[in-house]
Amino acid sequence: MLSPMRGGAKVFQDPMSDRPEGKSQASLNDPQARPRRDMKDVEREDRFSDTSGVLFEQAMAQTRMAVCLSDPHQPDQPIVFANRAFRRLTGYDEQDILGRNCRFLQGPKTDRHAVAKVREAIENEDVVVVELLNYRKDGTPFWNALHLGPIYDSKGELLYFFGSQWDVSDVRAARAEERHAREMARELSHRMKNMFSVISGIVNVMGRVRGVQKEAAEINSRIQALGRAYETTLDEASVGVIDLGPAVRAILEPYDVDDQIAFMGNGAQVPFSAMSLIGLVLHELAANATRFGAWADGANGQVALDWQRHGNEVVLTWIETGGPRVAGPPEETGTGATIMDRMVKAARGTIERNWKPEGLHAVLTVPFVGV
Amino acid sequence: MIEGCRILLLDDEPLILMDLEFAAEDQHCKPLTATNVSEAMAHIEAQSTVACAVLDVTLRDGETCVPVARELERRSIPYLLHSGDLNRQEGTLAELNAKLIAKPACSSRVVEAALALATAPVDGTKTN
Repeated sequence: MLSPMRGGAKVFQDPMSDRPEGKSQASLNDPQARPRRDMKDVEREDRFSDTSGVLFEQAMAQTRMAVCLSDPHQPDQPIVFANRAFRRLTGYDEQDILGRNCRFLQGPKTDRHAVAKVREAIENEDVVVVELLNYRKDGTPFWNALHLGPIYDSKGELLYFFGSQWDVSDVRAARAEERHAREMARELSHRMKNMFSVISGIVNVMGRVRGVQKEAAEINSRIQALGRAYETTLDEASVGVIDLGPAVRAILEPYDVDDQIAFMGNGAQVPFSAMSLIGLVLHELAANATRFGAWADGANGQVALDWQRHGNEVVLTWIETGGPRVAGPPEETGTGATIMDRMVKAARGTIERNWKPEGLHAVLTVPFVGV
Repeated sequence: MIEGCRILLLDDEPLILMDLEFAAEDQHCKPLTATNVSEAMAHIEAQSTVACAVLDVTLRDGETCVPVARELERRSIPYLLHSGDLNRQEGTLAELNAKLIAKPACSSRVVEAALALATAPVDGTKTN
């Protein structure tokens, strides 16, 4: 049960604290059954009322929070007080409001369930917070965050119900917009991955038609690495940056080397623009490890992959161990490595390869602007 | 033996479907292609011996592969999910609890993974 008034202004008593359990609507009509309050509390509250009563009334009249009081002892519980903020919010004058039940603010699209919650709270003398679609005098709807609760007098008798109204239309619109944006991002993400899949399909099919399947497969492995590099991007709420951790895992996912790789990095983010280079370089390193290094057939080596962001650059460290013993740098630089070097250079980054006997030790540095 | 076995391929994107089809032929399988739920169901109905399946999760016109997956489960035919819609379909993916390969992926890897499922489990779904 919501009870926002707990610990708040002393005039509004928490109805849960001083009411016998299981009191029914019928017992409301029996004055003997009404909750009695602990006299110690009452004395304290009386002191409070004596010193601050007038001030409180002034505050109530002048606050920007819309407030009204209704009288539960009159038929149909009419409003007996509505402050200026209430009148401003709803567009009604005092004579429109006083003497009427609160429900005149409801309209055709007001949720019946929310109204039922309000009714139930009144019956049980509970405090409740609900968001209701209400209507102003001119017919325009607004979302009203209604706080409602009982007010007792110093003898513990139910005196009024108070309601505070807050226009949360903007809040709700923002929430809806956020939801919509998230939906859009997911739709885009799905389409993009599908697009990469389609491109990959075209390359494979063309490769087959032209009898260059092997080349097509090589092109494809790069396209797919690229597609996976962006996998996490559009799913992120943040615009323009990528969490490196999930991206790196996605890039290396198809190599199926769960127990042969240790991911050391954590939490670093890079701008969107740096991702294609990182994706393609990791692909080349992984392909190389699969052919000659730690992940080669028969080898049971390990790769430790670390990523750290230092200011406006990201440093990825790839350390292979336990593969076939490395005699030194390969005599000829493969096409993959050549492409990788040129790409890195074009991005104004660096890649260092150190062929240690236990395996390749590569350090990629990618600079980026801003973010 | 995998050779000659029937593999059901469901994807609403013709080019992806064709790529998978070629990959299946490379493995000497008989691919049965479907672009929507009813085509897939028709294949399952018509062929008593489907060895395994590759199912795209999000299909056109708001369809998902769930009805096909359920029918395959009923017949104890193994399948894997091939999807690029991991975020929106989180619920569906969890519900189906099948092996998942995220798009974009290499078509031969996808087909091989599906065929591996066909050889591994239970009985009955062998070659003809």
